This record gives sequence, C-alpha cells and structure tokens, in this order.
Amino acid sequence: MKIVVCVKQVAVLGDEVEFADDALDVDPDYLDFALNEWDSYATEEALRTRESLGAEGDEIVVVSVGDRQVEDAMRRCLAMGADRAIRVDGPGSADPITLARLLAPVVQRESPDLVFCGVQSSDAVQAATGTVLAELTGLPRVAVVTRIEWDPSAARAIVHRELEGGLVDVTEVDTPALLTIQTGINQPRYATLRAIKQAEQKEIEVVSPAEQGEPAFRVRRMFTPPKEEGAQMLDGGPADIARRIKEIVEERLK
Amino acid sequence: MTPTRSTFAGLSTWEIAFWYGLIAVSTAIFVWGVARLVLKYRRGRGPFEFDRPVARLRRMAAVVLSHSGIKRRDPLAGAGHFLIFYGFVVLFIGTVILAFQDDVAKPILHWDFFRNGFYEGYSLFLDLFGAALVVGLAIMAYKRGIEKPFRLRYWRPDRTEGERERRRYVIGDWTFLGVLFFLALTGFLLESFRIAETNPSFEVWSPLGWSVGHAFRGLGLTGRAAADAHFVQWWVHGVVALGFVASIPFTKALHMLTSSASVASRDERAGRELSPLPPDAKPDEVGYGTILDLSPRYLLQLDACTKCGKCHAACPATTSGYPLSPRDVILDLREVAEGALGLRHELGVPPLHDPSASILGDPIRPETLWSCMQCMACVEICPVGIEHVPIINQLRRRLVERGEMDPTLQQTLESIYESGNSFGEARRKRARWAKGLDFEVKDIRKEPAEILWFVGDYASFDPRNQLVTQTLARLLHGAGVDFGILYDAERNAGCDVRRVGEEGLFNHLREENVAAISSCTFDRILTWDPHSFHTLRNEYSALGVDWNVIHHSQFLLELLEDGRLTPERPLGYRVTYHDPCTLGRYNGVYDEPRRVLAAIGAELVEMPRSRSNSFCCGAGGGRIWMTELKRDDAPRPSEQRIDEAVALDDIDYFVVCCPKDVTMYEDAIKTSGHQGEIELRELTELVWESLDLSAQVTVGGRDGKEEQP
Repeated sequence: MKIVVCVKQVAVLGDEVEFADDALDVDPDYLDFALNEWDSYATEEALRTRESLGAEGDEIVVVSVGDRQVEDAMRRCLAMGADRAIRVDGPGSADPITLARLLAPVVQRESPDLVFCGVQSSDAVQAATGTVLAELTGLPRVAVVTRIEWDPSAARAIVHRELEGGLVDVTEVDTPALLTIQTGINQPRYATLRAIKQAEQKEIEVVSPAEQGEPAFRVRRMFTPPKEEGAQMLDGGPADIARRIKEIVEERLK
Repeated sequence: MTPTRSTFAGLSTWEIAFWYGLIAVSTAIFVWGVARLVLKYRRGRGPFEFDRPVARLRRMAAVVLSHSGIKRRDPLAGAGHFLIFYGFVVLFIGTVILAFQDDVAKPILHWDFFRNGFYEGYSLFLDLFGAALVVGLAIMAYKRGIEKPFRLRYWRPDRTEGERERRRYVIGDWTFLGVLFFLALTGFLLESFRIAETNPSFEVWSPLGWSVGHAFRGLGLTGRAAADAHFVQWWVHGVVALGFVASIPFTKALHMLTSSASVASRDERAGRELSPLPPDAKPDEVGYGTILDLSPRYLLQLDACTKCGKCHAACPATTSGYPLSPRDVILDLREVAEGALGLRHELGVPPLHDPSASILGDPIRPETLWSCMQCMACVEICPVGIEHVPIINQLRRRLVERGEMDPTLQQTLESIYESGNSFGEARRKRARWAKGLDFEVKDIRKEPAEILWFVGDYASFDPRNQLVTQTLARLLHGAGVDFGILYDAERNAGCDVRRVGEEGLFNHLREENVAAISSCTFDRILTWDPHSFHTLRNEYSALGVDWNVIHHSQFLLELLEDGRLTPERPLGYRVTYHDPCTLGRYNGVYDEPRRVLAAIGAELVEMPRSRSNSFCCGAGGGRIWMTELKRDDAPRPSEQRIDEAVALDDIDYFVVCCPKDVTMYEDAIKTSGHQGEIELRELTELVWESLDLSAQVTVGGRDGKEEQP
C-alpha cells in the first residue's frame, strides 16, 4: 500500500504588508512560511489510514513543488511520520495547472493506491491543483473529503464529502483514486522538534521539473484595494448605536 | 550484689540456641529483603549516580540527625518523629551493646563491662529513651487518629471515592505504630517483671521499670511468679522484635533505609535543571512511558515516600481542585514498580503489572500530569528528597512525543516554533513596546552595551505587561544605565517549553538565543521575567555559555543602593509581596525584592505563605497555555492567593515581579470579587512612583489613563 500526499509550503502574512517593487507579489520580507493547513490534515489522514490498516511495508510519500526552502514544510510531514519525500525543483507558487503538470509525472512514477491533496492552499485559495492532477493522471477524484473508509483488498473506498449547509454526500470510489482532504477530518498530530531535527537528516529526493507548458494565468498587478467611501461612524452609547444599526439595516433591506 | 543483669537468665542451653537460630532466620529475611530491593532499583534505566559520596553521606547525616525536613510546617509531628527516632536509635544501640557484651566481649575478650556504673548509666539512658519513644508514638497516633490534618488523609483529587483502595495504607500506618508501641511496652514489662522478681536496689537506675516493678510487687507478683512472667515476656518481646527486623524491607519501616538513601542520593539541582534527551533519541527513549524507564534513583525514591503528605498539602493543584496530587503520583508509581518488579517477581509469582506496559493512562492519567505547574513546592518540602517535578516532566515528555496534549498547548508550541514567541506574533513586533518611549532603545546586535536586556514574551507582547516594560525602560534610561535589547532576534527563552516536556523545542530555542546573544557585546543580562531569568541563568550553561544573569529586582536594588536611583519620599504604602516560583524556590532570590520595597518606604506585610512556601499563581509549567482542568467549584490558585492577601487587612498593593503574575493576579483580583479592595503593582511601578509621584498615571490599571503602546 502506498499513499502519495501532495503538500505545499504557503506564505503567511503578518498584519503589515508591502508589495515588491514590480507590484507582482508581496515583498518576501513581509512573509513567513508554513505547511499549508489542509495539507497537514491530508498528511495526518494518510498516517491514520496506514495505522488503521496496520500493514507492514506500507509507504507514505510526500511530494511538493518548489525550491530548497519548501523542504521545511516537507520535513514537518516527515517528522509527523511520512516515510519519504520528493521535491520537484520548480516554481512552488505557480498556478494550479502548472503545479499539477509538475506533480503528475512523479505521482505516475510512484503509482500509489491513493493520492491525497489538501482541498486548497491558504495563500492562493484556488482549490484546483488536486482536481487538475486527477485529470492529468487519469485517477478518479473525490473533493472535500471528511471521512474515508477504504478497503484495499476490494480496491474500493467509501468517502464522505462535505456539502453546503451541513449536508454529507457519501460516495463510493474505485482505488487508485485522488482525494482532496478537508480540514477537520482529523486532528493533525504534533511534530516534535526532536522529530523535525531528525527529519533534517533524511534525504529528500529532488527531481527536475517536467515540461510546464503555458501558465494558466499571470499576475498583472498586486495592490491594496482603495478604501471605499461611505463609511459612517456612529457615536453614542451602545443602545443608541444598536438602534442606529437597526435603522440602517432596515433601510437597506427595503 | 553487683549491679548487672544476665541477658539469658533462666534460659536453658537449647533455648538460647533456638534464640540464635531465630536471629539467623530474621537476619536472613532482612538481608534478602534488602537485596531484592537493590535488584529492583537496578532494573531502572541508566546508572545509579552517587558522585561525591562523602558530601552526600554528610548531607544525609545532617538531614537525618537534625530532622530539618521533617519538622517543617508541622513542629509537633517533627517532635514526635524526633522522639521516636532517637528512642529507637538509642534502644537499638543498647541492643548492639548487649550483643557485643554477650557474643564478643565476655566469651572472646573476657571483658565484662556490663556492670556497676556502666550498667546503671545504661539502664537510665535506655529507660528515658524508651519513654521518649512511647511519647513520640503517642504524638503520631494523635496526629493520625485525632488531629487528622489534610496531608494525612488519603483523599485524592484525581479519583472518586472508592475508585482507589487505600485501606492497606491505613493498616500499614497503624501496624507500624502499633508494633513499635508493642515493642516498647513489652520491653518495659520485661524489665518490670525482672525487677519485681528479686528487687535489687541498684535497679532504681531504671526508673520506669523500678516503679512498675514495685507496683507488681505491691500486687503480690514477685519471686517465682514474676520469674515466670518474665520468661514469657522475654520470648514475646524477643520474637516480635526479630519479626519486626525481618519485616523492615516489606513494610512502612522500610523508610528507615530508603528515605535515608534517598536523601543521600537526591539530585540537588532536581527540577531546576532538567535532564537532556539522549542524543538521537528514538520516540520510546523520550521521557517515561513504562516503569522500567525510571532511573534507579527514582525507583528508590518511590519506596522512600512515607506518605507524610507535605507535598499533598503544599501543591497548588491538589488544593485547587486539579486532578493531581504529587503524593499520589509517587504512590501510584510505587505500586506499579512493586507490582511489576517487586516481591512477586522475586518469588516467581506472575507480576501484578506488566513491567513493559504503559503507565500513562493507567495509573497515571494525562490530565494529572497536565495539572502540574512545575512550581517545585512538592520537591522543596519533601523531607526525604523525592523529585516529583522532574518525574512528572519525564512523563509529560512521552505524552508530547505521542502528541497527546491539549490542542491549545499544541497550537502554542507550534507557534513558538514558527514565530519564536508564545503569542504567535510576528517576530518584528517583539520590540513594538519600545515605540511608546521618547528615546531610542539600543539594538545590542549593532552596538555594545553594559546590559543586555532579555525582555521575554509576556513582557514584550502582553498589553498590561508592556506598561511595566516601558516603565522599566524609562527607569533604566533615567538612571543612565547603558542597555540594549535583541529586537526580533530574541526568542522565547524556553523555560516553560521545557517544563511542558517539549525538550526538542527547548533545545531549538536555546540554540537560537545562544547564537543571537553570543554575537553581542555586554557585561550582564537583565530580565524582569523570572522564567527567562531562571533558564538563561541555569539551563543555558549546558551549551558552554557563562553569563551573568540578573533579575530586575536585584538590579533595582543595586541602583538604589548605589544612589543611581534616589526615592523622592517614602511611599508609605502597606503592601504584600508574592514570591514567583522561578525566582524564589528555583533560585533563592527572596531578599532583594523585599529590600527594594524597604528602600522605597513601603511597609511589607507577609502573607502566611511566603518565601519558599510561596503559592504558585497557577500559570507555571506551561499551564498558562492550556485549558482549565480543575473542578468548577474550586477557586483558582491565583484567587486563593488574593484571598490570602486581602485577609491581611488594609493592604494597598499586591506586589509582584513576574509578568505572568501580573497577568494572573490582575485577572484574579477581578474574578475573586476583591476589586476595589486591593490593587496590583509590579515592583518597577512602585520604584518609579517613589522617584516621581506625578508618574502615577502611566502605571497600573486603576485610572484607565495608561498609555497603550
């Protein structure tokens, strides 16, 4: 049994932001980096799937796209318990279609039983990489998964998907398959610093990027949207303010 | 008639031979019992450390002979134990002298010293110490049977009634007292029957035996009848005494050996400097998960516990409704150790506990371990040197390794790793408080300074504490102190990270801080956070750094005494002072804050629990990062502390000198319902006020005019 987990190192904004001189991105000085939250749930789910099956020889492989720096996020996954990591030496902050094109050959080479991706990344919020990757690798795909019951001997999984309004869609899927994992599916385990330091000793396989093709889109300009006019400041005690808000809301609803 | 007595008067040769046979059996059982304990302790992980044996044995002698630990916070119990101890020791020495006389001096050396003046002195001495033993036992019986203080009750906060059987302990306690009392009583009766038989005049030197013996004679018990009674009593006393000796390694009496050994072998730095992880540790080498993970010293300590309950009464968790009693942690572990490695193991009976089974969950529950504030109150008061705090810390390490922890704690540890501070704030915001000053604070990374000020997380990021931090900065600036800070290169010092049990993260933080600090030029490190103070001072030297670290209470005193700060007029406030755990118990800094208060003219009224008996605010050991674990109906430690301060009458200010205390007690004054009766001041704020009375608006929480950074 093998599970490939595709992860991303995301940029985290502080409360101060400035843009780079070319106005195409945030000035890297104002960014911190971390493992994408959805991907930590996906990694945890892979670990739990392995633990619940209790089979020997099972392997969990973490794959990511980016420069050396993304290895920090990958090591976090290794520290949680993943066995192996492969980094595609390409542009980690590229658009979803490009990322999927870079990931696809690695996923095909590994021919896993399951591929997990996070539903989306917290910095770009495209929620598309997993879906494109499923298309490129010819795998069935189920999105926004909140529960997995997998029977490897029958090559079939019953998965729960989260829909709007608290509805749950229960779907059966043949494996191998690609699932995009929603937060809350589990409680990701803590990666101790001891494990992170020891993961630093582990070799991360680096593969050259495949043909990227045309990017799906380009950033033309990044900027802080201008402040809109029309803000109204309310003075007075809480009761006065509450009354005014009620009036305004009623007015707008007409 | 020569004043002496014959040990075996009236016994035939075969009876004497039988007696020596009994001695051999009793001694053999005793030796086997001790040997199997040594074997049990040796099964612990790692070596039994006993460096500097002379110093250790000297310490043991001093502690045991002076009863310095036993008498603390309960002088009556101390006196009771003192009388029992010296009564027992003198009677034991008396028996040894007798054995020497009967088995060595007389038959081999032909030296008969047990007569005349020696005999009379011996008689008097033993009679008096025998009486002391009885009085001591009576005191202990009074404590257990009548006074029943909290510490001696086997109630425990982590189990419901009946969930844990403790009747065996009660039986053990009373049997121990009873057997000693029986031995003393039968000893006196034996003596009295002997005196009643022939009534020699020199036996007046055994005043108790003499009095009772004469009473027997008055009742007509004399001559042959007294001799028969003496014969029976001789065997009763003798057999029970030998039985007692044989039972020592298996009963409460064992503490005579284990407690002494524990006092000798204890680590004087216990809890203050926690042990490192083995290099390249595997997950099952991190912390303690089974009983075999404990070191031999800790296994010994489990058996050293006398159930005196001093830790139970001192623990802020136990007394605030948290599911933790340090006493019960030790006793639960002892039961596992004995059940897994003890007598049953030696006898080949299947053990009650599997030695390789996890001790986390049952009997030691995770919530018990997470209740600990690592405040050291238990270790500090334990009369037999048990190291509860590092043991609990080791158990926590395994929980952290398994990821079994409060999600809020996990989140805090993750943000400390990612951002270097427990608030999860961006690194560059660490020195934001300094923007509220009208002068520039030196960046010590760029230019040298006399004082490197290590600010710490709470003092840097918490709004109420930022006021104190700014006040201290103004004060240092005003006194012309050359100081600088690390700006965004400073990281959480790791004191509480280490106490939580995340040793890897502590190492990481320590390395980053050492790298940042080592590249700076300075004379001394100053901090007003006692947690940072403790760790920088005591737990960084493992990386080879040798820094002079001072707490601001020490530095303020220095500035006041050197005249670099001059109070304008005495403040005249009535104040009480709370000793922070990491400043007081951890580092023995008790006097400097008090001397600062005296220097600025504040009248200090001590709370009942002060100095080494200070009561933790409840934030320590990482508890400030976790969700509440205590029973809903119990007041928080910090609230109990405010009650304690308010009970002193007319206290103007509750003075603290720790950022976590500022946070905890500002909150507790509100939640304990004492708002308006007492206010909190950080030591710096009072010093500032003593310099310039118009400065009052810049400090404190009363008038709402404080500057927000």
